[in-house]
Amino acid sequence: MIIARRRALTMGGSVFAALAAPAILRAAPLQVVKMQGSARGERVWFNPLGVAIPADSTVRFVNHDPGNGHTATAYHPDNFDRVRRIPQAAAPWDSDFLLPDESFEVTFTVPGVYDYYCIPHEMAAMVGRIVVGTPLDTGWEGPSTDTTDVSPEVLATLPTVEEIHARGRIEQKDGA
Amino acid sequence: MFKPMILSATLLATSATFAFAEGHAAMLQSPPGEPFVQVSDVLPLPAFIPGLGTLFVSPDTLPAGPFLAYDHDGMLSATVYMTPLDELKNGVSYDDLAVGTHEVIAVDVYYNAGHPGVDVPHAHIVLYHDAEAKARLAE
Repeated sequence: MIIARRRALTMGGSVFAALAAPAILRAAPLQVVKMQGSARGERVWFNPLGVAIPADSTVRFVNHDPGNGHTATAYHPDNFDRVRRIPQAAAPWDSDFLLPDESFEVTFTVPGVYDYYCIPHEMAAMVGRIVVGTPLDTGWEGPSTDTTDVSPEVLATLPTVEEIHARGRIEQKDGA
Repeated sequence: MFKPMILSATLLATSATFAFAEGHAAMLQSPPGEPFVQVSDVLPLPAFIPGLGTLFVSPDTLPAGPFLAYDHDGMLSATVYMTPLDELKNGVSYDDLAVGTHEVIAVDVYYNAGHPGVDVPHAHIVLYHDAEAKARLAE
């Protein structure tokens, strides 16, 4: 964020508006989301929990948990008839189970908010949120308002779009 | 899914566990044979799980187990049970569970958030069968 601010101050006003977007939206197009767990499996989590990316970026989900299998699965009717929590125009994904060190990539082209979960760990609130672009982008679809298909724990875990845009990446240390 | 356990408890009482432990010397070395299957062959889990080793289970006994836990050399090192917390809270009990072998030198009980096969919060109860077992299963 500091680097971005310095650039904005030294460059012409014509590009200031573009640079005023969240810093992460100007970052490299590949983001890594780690699937992690404590040694005995007491806690499991995606790291980062929330991330902001520009459209056409790719996210690589990597299982860093040596003792567990994980998935990254979009909330979508195509996946186990779940209520949609990704933009309507976006394609859903399901990584299927990833063993340790295995990975799965998704490229995000539609602006909006994407919520996803780990199939065997949704009850432990192992969920994540990816924010693609900003509300100013054409076709943007904000976060789902549904509260019927997910638990209160899941809803409490998901960071807001504002938090994600402000911080770029919301890291989780040891699941906390 | 609990019928086999209930049956053994009702008809065979405690003799069931003795039969399990003493009548299957082959279980001391991996693979234990029928009816056990290697967990990683039927579920998306690593072949060797740090802390638990290589697990075998009889599918009829899920979710509680016993799971037979072997070290890298195929030596039976622990017997593991997995008991969903909600089921315990709702009155389910797991009685007269069999053990891999009678010698137990220590027991660990701890929480697990879930994993393929038992994807609800549950307790792991780990019976270690010799003094070095925990270290051999660690990684």
